[in-house]
Formats: sequence, C-alpha cells, structure tokens
Amino acid sequence: MSTQESVVNLRAEIKEWLFREAELLDDGLERTWLEDMVSRDIVYQLPLRQTVERARGAGWVEGTFHLDERYGSLNSRVARNESAYAWAEDPPSRIRHFVTNVRPVANDDGTVSVRSNLLIYRTRQDNVVPQLLSGERHDVLRREDGVLRLLERRILLDMTAIGTHNLSIFF
Amino acid sequence: MTNFTNRTDNSERILDQLEAGLPVGELPASLYGSKEIYEREKRNVFGRCWVFLAHESEIPAKGDYVLRKVGEDNFVVVRDEQGEINVLFDACRHRGVQICRADSGNTSHFRCPYHGWTYDTKGNLIGAPLWKNAFGGMDKSSNGLAGAAKVGSKHGLIFATLDPTAPSLDDYLGGMGWYLDLVFGLNEHGVEVLGAPQRFVIDANWKSGADNFSGDDYHLGTLHKSVWEIGAFPVSFQDNMMGYHIQASPGHSLSFSMAPNDDEPGPKFFGYPERVAETFTSERISEDQLNVARRSRVFVGNVFPNFSILALPMTEDGANFPPTAVLTIRTWQPVSEGKVEIWNWFCAYKNMTEEEKQRSYRAGLGTFSMGGSFEMDDTEPWITVARTGRSTAAEVLDFKLNYQMGMPGIGIGHPVDDWAGPGKAFWTRYEEGVQRNLFKFYLGMMKAEPGQWPALTFDED
Repeated sequence: MSTQESVVNLRAEIKEWLFREAELLDDGLERTWLEDMVSRDIVYQLPLRQTVERARGAGWVEGTFHLDERYGSLNSRVARNESAYAWAEDPPSRIRHFVTNVRPVANDDGTVSVRSNLLIYRTRQDNVVPQLLSGERHDVLRREDGVLRLLERRILLDMTAIGTHNLSIFF
Repeated sequence: MTNFTNRTDNSERILDQLEAGLPVGELPASLYGSKEIYEREKRNVFGRCWVFLAHESEIPAKGDYVLRKVGEDNFVVVRDEQGEINVLFDACRHRGVQICRADSGNTSHFRCPYHGWTYDTKGNLIGAPLWKNAFGGMDKSSNGLAGAAKVGSKHGLIFATLDPTAPSLDDYLGGMGWYLDLVFGLNEHGVEVLGAPQRFVIDANWKSGADNFSGDDYHLGTLHKSVWEIGAFPVSFQDNMMGYHIQASPGHSLSFSMAPNDDEPGPKFFGYPERVAETFTSERISEDQLNVARRSRVFVGNVFPNFSILALPMTEDGANFPPTAVLTIRTWQPVSEGKVEIWNWFCAYKNMTEEEKQRSYRAGLGTFSMGGSFEMDDTEPWITVARTGRSTAAEVLDFKLNYQMGMPGIGIGHPVDDWAGPGKAFWTRYEEGVQRNLFKFYLGMMKAEPGQWPALTFDED
C-alpha cells in the first residue's frame, strides 16, 4: 500500500470513528460510548482559557481545567445521568455534535493523533436561542484488541467565560 | 389597591413588599427578576458594599495583575512595585478607554491603546506621547486612574468598596470574620488558589447563588439526590441536616453540618486529610474556633452581597477515591437582572502535598464546578427562579415566595443560646432564617440614603 493510500485509509477510518462517536452522544447512548469507544486509561480534559496578550500565548492556563476526567469519573457522570434525579439532563438537552476538519496522523507507537473541529448546538425545553460551543479537539486513539478507543482528549474551546449553564454533556 | 401599574420604577413597591413580608417569611418573587430592582442594586449594593475580587496568591509577584469586576464594571487588581495591592478602575482618564485588555499578566505599566496615556501600577499617570506638545504644563498627579475607595484583605482574600463612607472591612464583616478564621486560618500557612477561576454565564439572577449558599441545605435531598447514588458525598441527607445555621452578623450567613455529639465518627475538619488536619492548631485562632472546625463536616456561607464559600468532603469517583476536603470560593457576578456570571476558584492549604492538592482539585472539579455532579443541577432551577421573577404574572398576582422554614412553630429548627461563636445560632439546618438575614440587610442597603449604612451588628437593631 502506498503512503498516499494509507493516509486516505486512515483518514476514512478515523472519520468513521468520530462520526459514530458523535452519533452515540447525540442519541444519548453515553453508556455505549463509554464502554465501546473509551479506553480504561483515558485522560479527558477541558482546560481553562484566559484572554492574555499575544506574547503570552493562546491563554491556556497550565494545570487548570473545567473538566479533568479519568475513566472512573466519566463513569460517575454517565451513571449520574442514568439516575432518576439528574435534573440537569431530564428532560434531556437536545445536542448535536458537528465534527469537521478531521486531521489524523499515525504515530510511531501505533496510536493515532487526530485534531478535529467541533461545534455543539444545544437547546433545552423551548429555547429558540441555542447554546453554541465551538472548539478544537486534540485526541489520541489507540487500538486495544483490534478496537480503536479514545486514550486522550483535550477539548480547546473558543471562549473564556463559558456560555452554557453546565457541562452535563460530553464533547 | 391594585398591582397594575404603568410606573416605570417598581423597585420601591417591591422593596415595600419585601419589608412587609420578611417578618412573616414571604418575599416578593419579582425581587429575582425586576429590571428596576437590578438597576438599584448596581448602585446601592454593588456600588457601596465590600465585594470580593481576588486572592493574594493569584498575584504573588510585583507587577502581577488580574482583571476583575465590581458589579458590572472592570477593575484591575495589581501588586505594585512596593508590593501593595491596588484596585484600579479600568478606564483611561482621557477618554475612558479600557487600559487593561487581558484577564491576567505581569506589567510595569498600563498603556491606553487610544492615545497612549500611560500609568504605573499604582495608577499614577506617568506620561503620554509627545507630552510637551500635547500636555506640557498640565498636572499629572490629578490625572491618575480612579481606584476603589477602600481596599482590604483578610486571610489573603482581597475585597474592595467604591464607597468612601463604607465601614472598615473588619467592621463590615462583623461576626463573619470569626467564621472566615476557622475556614482559612487553621494553620500558619493559610490557603492558596489552585489556578485561575472558572467563569460561566447562566440565565439566572445573582441572588439565587447568594440565597443558596447562605444555608439552603434542604435542597440537597431533592435536587442533589443523584450524588448519593454515585457515592460522591459521605454523609446521608438526613444526617447532613443536623448542624447549625448561623446569622453571623447582618447580611452574612452560614451553615455547618455537624453530628449532634462531638465524639461521633464521621468527617472532621471538612474532610481534610489527617496529615493536614494535624497541623491545625489554636495558635492563631481560639480554642472555640478550632473545636467548631474540628466538628464540622460541611461549611457553607455567603459574605454579603455575592461572595460564597464552601468546604466539604467530596469525591468525583466514589468507586476509586474516598472523599477529601474541597474548598471552593465563588462570586455571583451580576450581568443583568436575568444573567449571572459565576466565578469559581478552588483553594487548598499551602502545606498540602502536590498530590493532596491534585486530589482535592479533581474532587472539586467533579462536584462543585460547571461540569460537576452537584453544580450542574444547581443552575437548572435558578434559571426558572429568574423567569418567575421577571414574569408579569408574579407582579399582577402579587406572587410571594415562601421563606418560613424554621420560624416559630414551623419545623424543628430552633434558636440555641450556648453557641460559642458570634451571631444568632439555630440547631438543625431545617431553617431559613439565614436567608431572611441576607434579605433583611439587603433591604437596608437598598433603602439607605447615600452615606447611611444599615445596622452592622444585631445589637444596633
């Protein structure tokens, strides 16, 4: 297989994976997503951002997060939404993940790094003005017994103050 | 008397309803949504009271600054070359343009991007381009940045007020100071913030946060029922309702979860690791303060108007990690009558190990944070408190909210007279006097004439 072919194949495979993931999350199948697509070694982070002068970088605040999850805490969040008292998501938000600009790179250790752009459109009850969350995801996927799973996710949002009333959703 | 009106300012009528309703535990719902009330709050509450801005550990070095808010307005909190902390209005003397365009940083000066007026970190005007041509002969000293009227700090917590007639910070805090000591001053190291504050904006009124953190423990059993299902919090709802409600001084309220007997097992010192708790001594605080902290499972409180504190044992992952102390401080920053920006910091004692701090931080993120199991449910009802508050129905139906829990003859909450600390104390947390205390002082501020202050101690009542 030529290099060109393997790049095309990888891009197709990763796109397929990301679109399946978005479908599960949009359909509210969080348990399936967690068990089928997420590695037990996951590091899932949404770092905190500030407005800073250009010379100081993009404003990511080292070691500071909105979300800093491992498999156990993600499991807690999924279990919470399954309980009868998760008011934040019952009735559930209507969520749509728009995933574009998918850029996978195969790493020497067999993992795949992938950057993708993400737009989440969220409404609750009879809202006509949606909550919009735009950003980029830096993911690392790993093959575990032949199945691609999410090993790292870093969610880089395009905002400093977050314009949604909670983060009861998954990115 | 009808409530239908075409007057443009309803605030006086709503405040009169509040005044009449407080003694019987009724609040006009419009308080949480009236635009006129909000306009008056900006001047009478946020334009006068001491408000929390930052923690000293956020700006440790000379030149460090953070951009913060007093009401809706931006102020730069900056440590100057002498190490003093200044709170400067973010507006150039020349045309009022913002002089600080970053959330944080380090600088020796602030330069206005419009015409280049430049100020030092004390706010003094130090120059402008082609000074002689433009301003030669003009007095620099009277053209510095405006600043807060008074700045004060306690346990590293920086407060400021815009009102030169304000009492000192200590007098303003009154009895609340005693309780801040036993949360922030348990050892000689004190606390520091863990990183920059989270900020998120929700469609709610700022008072919902202040009301909730003044001691609304009762909502845990319903709104937060899910947290017991995932093992995030180690004390049962019923047990957690045991404890004290304290009106520390007018406006400032708090609540402790405590076992009825002080030798009962369970979390002590808000769940701090034993190694850390062993460093807590009565060297800087009284024996009584140390005993109260030792017996406490949970501390939650609000410094009037919009600064809240919460210390309690939590975990983000009950299956893998035992609960540990989380200390969060937050402000309910007003944006409009129907919008609030929540600023949320996590703190830890400086003598905790990096690992202990990380554990506390992650437990806090997983619980009292916009993505946390507790907080994600809190914002949900507050949105509709504000919707009800701005409704025409609430106004024309004269709709009152019930604040009667723990009043004489209602429920099991009752005053106690053997409490070791300042203020009015009540046993069991089935009680809403803490919130009535918040709103009584609020009423005083809202009705006060310029220069006048409502009573700052209960003796003056």
